[in-house]
Amino acid sequence: MGDIISFAYQYADSFALLALSSIGLVIIFGMMGVINMAHGEFMMIGAFGASFGFQWGLPLSLAIVTGVFAATAIGLLLERLVIRKLYGRLLYSLVATWGISLVLSQGALVLIGPSVPSLPNPFGTVSVGGMNFSVYRLFLVALAIALIVTLWALMRFTNFGLHARATMTEPDMAEALGVRTTRIYMVTFGLGAALAGFAGAIFGLSAQIQPTFGAAYTPIAFIVVVVAGSRNIIAGLLASALVLALVKTSFTVGFNILTGYVAMLVTALIIIRLSPTGILDLIGKLKALASRHRSSTKGTSAEETKNA
Amino acid sequence: MRELLNGRIEPGKGPVFWIVGALLVIGMLFLPGLVGRYTLLNFNSFLLMVFLATGLALLWGFCGVLSLGQSAFFGIGGYAYGIVAINLADSPWASLAGVAGGIVAAVVFAALLGWLTFYGHLRGVYVSIVTLVVTLVIESFLNQTAGPQWKIGTAHLGGNNGLGRFSGAAENIPSLTIPTGGGNSLVISGSSPTFYYVLIGLIVFTYLLLRALVNSRFGVALAAVREDPDRAETLGYDIRLLQSMTFCIGAALAAMSGLLYVAWGNFITPSVFGVTANVLPVIWVAVAGRKSLAAAILGAVVLQWGAQQLAISGGEWALIVQGALLVLVVLLLPEGLLSLRQQFSRMRDVRSNSLKSQSRQG
Amino acid sequence: MLLSVEKLFKKFGGVVACDNVDWSIGSGETQCIIGPNGAGKSTFFQLLTGRHAADHGRIIFKGGDISRLPPFARANRGIAMKPQTLGVFPELTVEHNMRLTLQRHMSGAALRDAIEARLADLDLAHTLNRQARELSHGQRQWLGLGMAIGSNPDLLLLDEPTAGMSTAETQRTVDLIHRIGATGTAVLVVEHDMAFVRQLAVPTTVFHQGRIFASGTLSDIETNLDVQRLYLGKQGVAKLRN
Repeated sequence: MGDIISFAYQYADSFALLALSSIGLVIIFGMMGVINMAHGEFMMIGAFGASFGFQWGLPLSLAIVTGVFAATAIGLLLERLVIRKLYGRLLYSLVATWGISLVLSQGALVLIGPSVPSLPNPFGTVSVGGMNFSVYRLFLVALAIALIVTLWALMRFTNFGLHARATMTEPDMAEALGVRTTRIYMVTFGLGAALAGFAGAIFGLSAQIQPTFGAAYTPIAFIVVVVAGSRNIIAGLLASALVLALVKTSFTVGFNILTGYVAMLVTALIIIRLSPTGILDLIGKLKALASRHRSSTKGTSAEETKNA
Repeated sequence: MRELLNGRIEPGKGPVFWIVGALLVIGMLFLPGLVGRYTLLNFNSFLLMVFLATGLALLWGFCGVLSLGQSAFFGIGGYAYGIVAINLADSPWASLAGVAGGIVAAVVFAALLGWLTFYGHLRGVYVSIVTLVVTLVIESFLNQTAGPQWKIGTAHLGGNNGLGRFSGAAENIPSLTIPTGGGNSLVISGSSPTFYYVLIGLIVFTYLLLRALVNSRFGVALAAVREDPDRAETLGYDIRLLQSMTFCIGAALAAMSGLLYVAWGNFITPSVFGVTANVLPVIWVAVAGRKSLAAAILGAVVLQWGAQQLAISGGEWALIVQGALLVLVVLLLPEGLLSLRQQFSRMRDVRSNSLKSQSRQG
Repeated sequence: MLLSVEKLFKKFGGVVACDNVDWSIGSGETQCIIGPNGAGKSTFFQLLTGRHAADHGRIIFKGGDISRLPPFARANRGIAMKPQTLGVFPELTVEHNMRLTLQRHMSGAALRDAIEARLADLDLAHTLNRQARELSHGQRQWLGLGMAIGSNPDLLLLDEPTAGMSTAETQRTVDLIHRIGATGTAVLVVEHDMAFVRQLAVPTTVFHQGRIFASGTLSDIETNLDVQRLYLGKQGVAKLRN
């Protein structure tokens, strides 16, 4: 029993890590197809901002808001100056955001320094049935779920969500219907930056905050995003994070952390290989395969009856 | 052969181009006599990166594939050289075996990765992301290999300290060593003029070979795959095979730089797989112009030199400036500085055509 | 039969785009496929070129089953196509465009001569070194057509070859297609423009909702009441009568 709970705990923790690291990137990629190579740097800015806010005497929650604010501001600025000029040219926006990533991370190093004071971790541990759980990690899980649900609600029930979904699937049509797609892209990019900054600030509670802070999360975020695909952001993110976290946890528990990480990557590559458009389409293909198998066995007997 | 070298796809042709090129190469041959050992060491490090740059130009500019995995092949080539050479430490062929090993390892890995991406019908940014992720995961993996159990044969991987450092002097990575018969070997250290001449020779040879390749039928087809892969396929071209082959060639070139780097400095660490190392060739090729091999070569050398000058005078701003340069180039001059020259010559053609028609009318 | 299609079936999501279609074309024949929007003509076209793989059914070409072959393999067996979207490479020169087709079959001086000859046939010899995007729309259509026949295919598939053309250009295309047919190449034209279809005057098949609705000679189709109703609706037909 203890092993199951322990596994569930680690699984949830992995899921939270994957989901929170990638949610900002998923929004931007799903909406605009832009691979934001500066995603890790937005996370770093969130952590740095939170650190500064805390040093200036703000309570922790407001410090985190400061971090989100900083990341959003820089995100919107970059959208206006750079990203907007490169819509539709996806390889160029990848390269440009890469340059931005270099400027931001090296800029932080030069202008601020090799590290900033860390944030306090106000969470303790909780004991259940003789096992210790970090409240912080449980908080991350709750946060991940809350963010996903909020995002889903935003997409489903608000005007913005409606316009955003229209712009995602049929940008020309949406434009013709009066949706200000430029504005949608701007808000989306800002939202993606905000979520990245938020994740960065939150992760900053448990790590040393350096200019290369975000770089550790970048590969994870990319893996989750590419597996998620861009057809349905929320469902894709959920499916991707759930499946990849399961593989990662299983192999980590069975072997070690490194094996877990590599197994997760291999799984991602297999999924992409089988279904380049993402895990949702893979699930769809598997379902179609299963139903065709079922109907072909049914069909043969019907044909036999006919020919008899 | 003449048509292949003087063909239409790699820019630059005609007597002026070749004469200027030849003069440049001849001029370069005088450099070792004019500079000190330390400068030569640096210059050699710039030159050996040329193959990495041309490989990226071939993939990105000529084939339309922005491979972010060139650092992976660089690193694999380098690590393979080190591992093979360390394991064969007693043989005079250790270094050359390492060269072969480096290139073979990279090409095999590229074939595998190519199968994964191109035959998986991946396009555009997806290819870039998959190649990037694979590169970063290799870096993470190698950084974890510090313990004594992590070795291939007699070569310890050394974690983030890298290859060749684990047990002190016992595992030195040899410089480029060519057996000259009679039990003797020529050891070409990274700061020697010999290394420099070898590099110049390799660069000229590789350039001419690649130039003939891109001007050939293969290059003609590659351009179509770059522009519109679906249409190219309906014309009978096996686009996935073409992309995979180009990918393998690009990998071999990157590995060439990688193994020369290890032969130059006698060490290699996982940082060569990192994001920063990966972005530098993209900057050189983007700024110079990715649709020209010659531009890629010049861009790689000039920008590395420039970055070093910046690092000497401006301290830590070198990377910031390079990052900003990349953003500016993408926004303002996406085809690189080369496109300025093409615009200029096109304007000149338009003007001479209009002058011709005017004189006819007059 | 040069190419025959047996019970070809394709479903996209919930929509059956091609519903157990049987069809064939013989060597040297020219045929036309028409139908209202959403009839499944484009899907059928893409199933023939290999762009999409059918869910069920077979495609037999020159005696061999090509159903599972990718587009380039079909092209190399003798099926050429020109897509609706012009089918040229706009950023490459006209010479480079033509070379792509012809270099698969020849080289050297013969290749150079063939490129010039083909371009001269299409009245494009003077545009040799210009980028394809500098050509007019009609010129680009012809270049695409020229590229498609460059390999001397057994079967030529054309998707709306006169889209965006003027009347004069359309007539020229009709002549070009008849000339191609005269060389022994089978031609299938998927079309939308009824004026062009009338000028072409070849056996025609009407698609509707993924199935063959009617087929026969052009005059059969034109006088077919069901077809008229399909295109014009009941009221339209009544108007036509009166």
